[in-house]
Amino acid sequence: MLMMNQGVNTQTIASVDPNSLEGRYVVDVSQGQTSSYNPTAYESEAAPWTMHRVDNHSTENGILSNSSYHHDHRTQQLARSAQDSLNTASLASSSTQGTMSVTQDHSGYAAYNPTDPYGYGSSGYSSYYNNGYQQQPNHAYSQQQPSHSYSQQQPSHSYSQQQPSHSYSQQQPSHSYSSTGGAYQNTGAPYQPLSSFQNTGSYTGTTSYSTTYYNPGDYQTAGGYPSSGYSNQTSLWNDPNNANYTSQQYSTYAPDTTSAYSSGTAASTSMNYEQHYKQWADYYSQTEVSCAPGTEHLSAASTSNLGSAVSGVYPTSNTQPPASFTPASWRPESASSELPSLQTGATISSTHDGWKQGTPSFQNHHASPTQPHFQISHESKASYDNIQEQQQTAPQAPNSQFPAAHQVTQSYQSTLQNAPSLDTRRVSRMQIPTNPRIASNLALGLSKTDKDGPTNSAAAKPAYISVSMPKPNDKVLSNDATNSMLKPGMFPNSLRRYVERAFNLCKDDTQRVACQAIMKEIITKATADGTLNTRDWDAEPLFAIPNAEAVNMDSQCPTPVSSSPRYKRSPGRRSKSRWEPLPEEKSVDKPVSISNDIVKYDGWERKPPSVNSESKWNALNNMKFSLSEQKLPSKNTQRPAKRQHLADGLNAANNDASSDSDKEQSLTAYYSSAISIANTPEEKKRRESRSKRFEKVQGHRAEINYLKQKNAGAGNLYSRRASALMLNKSFDDSGSKAVEDIDWDALTVKGTCQEIEKRYLRLTSAPDPSTVRPEEVLEKALLMVQNSQKNYLYKCDQLKSIRQDLTVQRIQNQLTVKVYETHARLSLEAGDLPEYNQCQSQLKTLYAEGIEGCHMEFAAYNLLCVILHSNNHRDLVSSMSRLTEGAKKDKAVKHALAVRAAVTSGNYVMFFRLYKEAPNLNTCLMDLYVEKMRYKAVSCMSRSYRPTIPISYIAQVLGFSRTSDGNDEKDSDGSGLVECVEWMNTHGACLTTDNSGEIQLDTKASSSSLYMPEPEDAVAHGDANLAVNDFLTRTSL
Amino acid sequence: MAYLSMGEAHRRITEYLNRFSEAVSFQDGASLKQLLSVSSNSPSLLSLADSLNVFQDANRLIKQSDKYSQFGEIIAPFFRCLQSYRIGNLLDAYHAFEKAANAFLPEFRNWESAWALEALYVIAYEIRILAERADRELASNGKSPEKLKGAGSFLMKVFGVLAGKGPKRVGALYVTCQLFKIYFKLGTVHLCRSVIRSIETARIFDFEEFPKRDKVTYMYYTGRLEVFNENFPAADHKLSYALMHCNPHHEANIRMILKYLIPVKLSIGILPEDRLLEKYGLVEYSNVVQALKRGDLRLLRQALQEHEDRFLRSGVFLVLEKLELQVYQRLLKKIYIIQKQRDPSKAHQMKLEVIVKALKWLEIDMDLDEVECIVAMLIYKNLVKGYFAHKSKVVVLSKQDPFPKLNAKPVNS
Repeated sequence: MLMMNQGVNTQTIASVDPNSLEGRYVVDVSQGQTSSYNPTAYESEAAPWTMHRVDNHSTENGILSNSSYHHDHRTQQLARSAQDSLNTASLASSSTQGTMSVTQDHSGYAAYNPTDPYGYGSSGYSSYYNNGYQQQPNHAYSQQQPSHSYSQQQPSHSYSQQQPSHSYSQQQPSHSYSSTGGAYQNTGAPYQPLSSFQNTGSYTGTTSYSTTYYNPGDYQTAGGYPSSGYSNQTSLWNDPNNANYTSQQYSTYAPDTTSAYSSGTAASTSMNYEQHYKQWADYYSQTEVSCAPGTEHLSAASTSNLGSAVSGVYPTSNTQPPASFTPASWRPESASSELPSLQTGATISSTHDGWKQGTPSFQNHHASPTQPHFQISHESKASYDNIQEQQQTAPQAPNSQFPAAHQVTQSYQSTLQNAPSLDTRRVSRMQIPTNPRIASNLALGLSKTDKDGPTNSAAAKPAYISVSMPKPNDKVLSNDATNSMLKPGMFPNSLRRYVERAFNLCKDDTQRVACQAIMKEIITKATADGTLNTRDWDAEPLFAIPNAEAVNMDSQCPTPVSSSPRYKRSPGRRSKSRWEPLPEEKSVDKPVSISNDIVKYDGWERKPPSVNSESKWNALNNMKFSLSEQKLPSKNTQRPAKRQHLADGLNAANNDASSDSDKEQSLTAYYSSAISIANTPEEKKRRESRSKRFEKVQGHRAEINYLKQKNAGAGNLYSRRASALMLNKSFDDSGSKAVEDIDWDALTVKGTCQEIEKRYLRLTSAPDPSTVRPEEVLEKALLMVQNSQKNYLYKCDQLKSIRQDLTVQRIQNQLTVKVYETHARLSLEAGDLPEYNQCQSQLKTLYAEGIEGCHMEFAAYNLLCVILHSNNHRDLVSSMSRLTEGAKKDKAVKHALAVRAAVTSGNYVMFFRLYKEAPNLNTCLMDLYVEKMRYKAVSCMSRSYRPTIPISYIAQVLGFSRTSDGNDEKDSDGSGLVECVEWMNTHGACLTTDNSGEIQLDTKASSSSLYMPEPEDAVAHGDANLAVNDFLTRTSL
Repeated sequence: MAYLSMGEAHRRITEYLNRFSEAVSFQDGASLKQLLSVSSNSPSLLSLADSLNVFQDANRLIKQSDKYSQFGEIIAPFFRCLQSYRIGNLLDAYHAFEKAANAFLPEFRNWESAWALEALYVIAYEIRILAERADRELASNGKSPEKLKGAGSFLMKVFGVLAGKGPKRVGALYVTCQLFKIYFKLGTVHLCRSVIRSIETARIFDFEEFPKRDKVTYMYYTGRLEVFNENFPAADHKLSYALMHCNPHHEANIRMILKYLIPVKLSIGILPEDRLLEKYGLVEYSNVVQALKRGDLRLLRQALQEHEDRFLRSGVFLVLEKLELQVYQRLLKKIYIIQKQRDPSKAHQMKLEVIVKALKWLEIDMDLDEVECIVAMLIYKNLVKGYFAHKSKVVVLSKQDPFPKLNAKPVNS
């Protein structure tokens, strides 16, 4: 395997050669990797892997939709720029992972296993672990000193976990691949080689993965966007790994060639790296394409790995801010890593590698998490850009690149140091402000955050910003941010633009809402990751709007996952994280408290922390070198300055680390144990529980996603939507594709919910097909409501939800009319005029479209409504003039017109006669006017009658006797009479009793004493339907 | 279209430009007005439009000299408007004219004196006419007509320029009237309120100082608004003012005023002569008047039914419908007179059965309760003096003036 890896490396080198710088780098890397990697790489890899895995998990949880997006982007971006592709790849990978995790969450790990050839499920993981890690560990680890611990660790926990991350990435790819099919197999083969690579170093392993991924990715790209995206993602993941590797190599180089580095322009070299990155990215795309075929994969993979590695390195440096997420973990990890590094002392380079790897992995993780949420690729791109800039500034030599890497590592270290020491963090903060980019980003970020996500995001964002600027700073900041130190308002301009772009994609309000939600989550995630500022938002692919929910879910998921799963997974890791914050204590605390810290941090973070620590250590080792180098780079840009700070911090950390080298070793052991734990069944259980938690947290969303996934298989609307959206995004990014290509039909909601009963809830985001009922179900629901014996409030609620589903699905047919008519009638019966008016206005347009219904009935209602409730003569005249001749012959309309005549002439006798013989629900509308009419009638009577009027007559004329059904005339003495007397009394009428004992209205006395009493059911807010009692009954439904 | 040489076209365009700049420089509002009245179809403008269609590069001519180019923003779109109008593209004509009008407005604002009021009137008128025609074009193409609305908002801008102190204020009423026309056409009558308020409240000088034609138009429209509000005395006042000051030779205008004034007068008890109705072709009211005179409820209902559409469209249907009570009053009065002839001592006691019988003769089937209600309403509305005795079902009329005349007062409501 080692040989294979080496061979690959050499191949890659050869291919790289065309680009002298790249080639050199590659060579160096390969050399360094091979040499130092084997020992260190494993360790570092293991840590990074774990980190990656954790990140992946977290990202996976959140990122399903994103992944798809990422895919598109990646595919497009691949063509664009290697960086983009890398970024996207990392994003995609993260996203894919996120998707994977999501799927896992939903279906559970077990589900994953079956679905994925590789086996996402815990079993899959284990298998992966076993396969990859075990193999790797066996090979490289066994060889390496650390390998002992590592091998143990790897096989047992950390490695398995780390590998799982690999496996995750693989699995994810496999998911996508599963669709692609053949490609996966190919990838599978590469994977194995990768494992062999692992022997050479974690690098090789990762590279092989990446390559395999890439290949699949390429295939996928050729075939379907999603698959390509996955592959890209995987590649990204690989890239991160690679990056880590490269970083490791760099670090190793740095230590080894510290002199050379120092001599060389570190900054410039770093810049070169970035450039290389781009080149690499290009290569990636190219290589990927070429590789896709198959055997070439290895070489392609290697190249891609290199590129990825480069990218990884860059990202790492850049991503360190993203790492901010992990900052805590990082710090702990760094501490732990430091310890390991100390332990490995001899294999400083290896440790460096490991560190670097870890850092890269961290970066990757960060990028991936962030990307998944936002469009991590952007961030990564940003980081890339930064790197590129640096590289550009100092493109002089590959060596320089290495120094850059060193710097990066140093920066990490510094960050780690910072983490341990608050002061350093503060320093980093200070640095952050100094950085113009950061400052601008912060300011921008604030606005963006405001837009996207309220306080949380804002708070997180600040942290991110700081993090993003200088990685160490970011970390510190992130920590601070986590501590609510960050300024909420600070968002980078690029993020703003990103948000704008995202919103521009929105086609309608629902999408905008969804988009907003997604953005919110992305930003929060980014802030949480600390990648807010580091990300290149401009380059970040836009998320698919429909996926917004998924994203939300993802974002939600990650947090829960991180909290619980992390804990469960690797206590040791946690300890590392703790270590990071307190480097000095690391050695001591690590074993004890690591678990807690690690728990706090995501599994990813944990691993990264370790990596970081390692990187730090490496950095420390390299630090000196890198410091000098860093100083040089610092000239280049803010980053250099940051790096310097970091380097300083690293130096400090190194010092501590050096002192704690023994401790570190112990820590590494811890790590390994922790890692091994991760792989254990317990870990699996934890993961499952995590996934469950996710489901709980996500609730509907998770379910939705699940459904989506279920449906997704072939032509899931969701996936289609997502793809469409992705296309949009990709279009946006690349501008190469036309908007017309978007499958708009795919964006229309088609409900899948089979529940007949559904409570109405006002939509605050894009409707979820799984909660929307299709037409058949709605018909049943309508029938159910019509036959329901429950009260109006229940029916109203149900009808509103039916209406919503109809609206959401843009169903406008006879069913729609029926629903509105039913609701209008019900609301009339209940005297709920506001609701009736809503239905009436809808019916008006529906009738106008020629849909059949009870047009006349509702024309009559409309007429009555105007007559009785708006004293607007113009409206009345216009609505009368709009009646057709046919309508005027309709019984209901005729009745309404007669009522109008009675009202305008004040003919109360006629009015109450019409009241009694009203067709349909005209009575209900007239009911609302009865009181007024009675009062008018009685005041008229009391003016014109002398001396008295028998109450019985009034009761009969004014419809009081109506209460006794049927023969009201004869029954007029009954309840109607009592009611009439009551009414008279409440309206101030003077009643007398004549000789025969009949109650009479004293007209003369009453003419001056009549008054209109305040309505008994008057409510302050004017709507009796909102009365508390009704509300309570409604909620109890 | 006769052949038009390029030179001739050039000459005509240059001539127009000369006239325009001269009109402005001599502050000759009357000339300027003629130059801007697109829809007047004046021969000079038609030939200019033809020339513009032949000589396509009119903008070059405008830019030739400062004299012209200073009004280029007005003239260039105006030329386009003329061209489009000539070829019947009213939508484009409206758009171009709106552009020209918008360019004209700041110029007008800068002119100290009100010499260009005439020209502004033409612009206000033309933009309304063009908008109406453009809307018709839009509607025939199945698109939503919205240009008149746009013209309305432009005129509100013009109103803002005019309403204030100074000599230009006298033009405000004209613009107001154009706005009324637009709002009544669009059915957005409520928008009139703000314009009316600014005319009636901030009266820096007397209403009478406005041009007479504007006053008449203004009174006509505000009177119509009062009819909608069923504020009959105010409607009577405004419409009568319009009728009094309307040019007697403009019979169409008089007819329009009478269309609303007659129902208003009827509802306050003043009946027109048949001659008037015949003269102005308002025979739809003659049966209503007859019914009122005879107390013939059936005739009134027939008349209302016959002309329902027309009355509904003009918005007087409800006003006329309310005349029913007066018809009842007339009917009761006739019964009273007959009873008085037969037995003066018992004339003031009117049995309900008699009224029901009378209505039966009119082929109107109403039972006792309903008639009782009508009588109660009559007494309540002060159309009959007296009271109703429920026990004996007898209307006891006042011995003094049992059927008071309305005397130009509306029925109590």
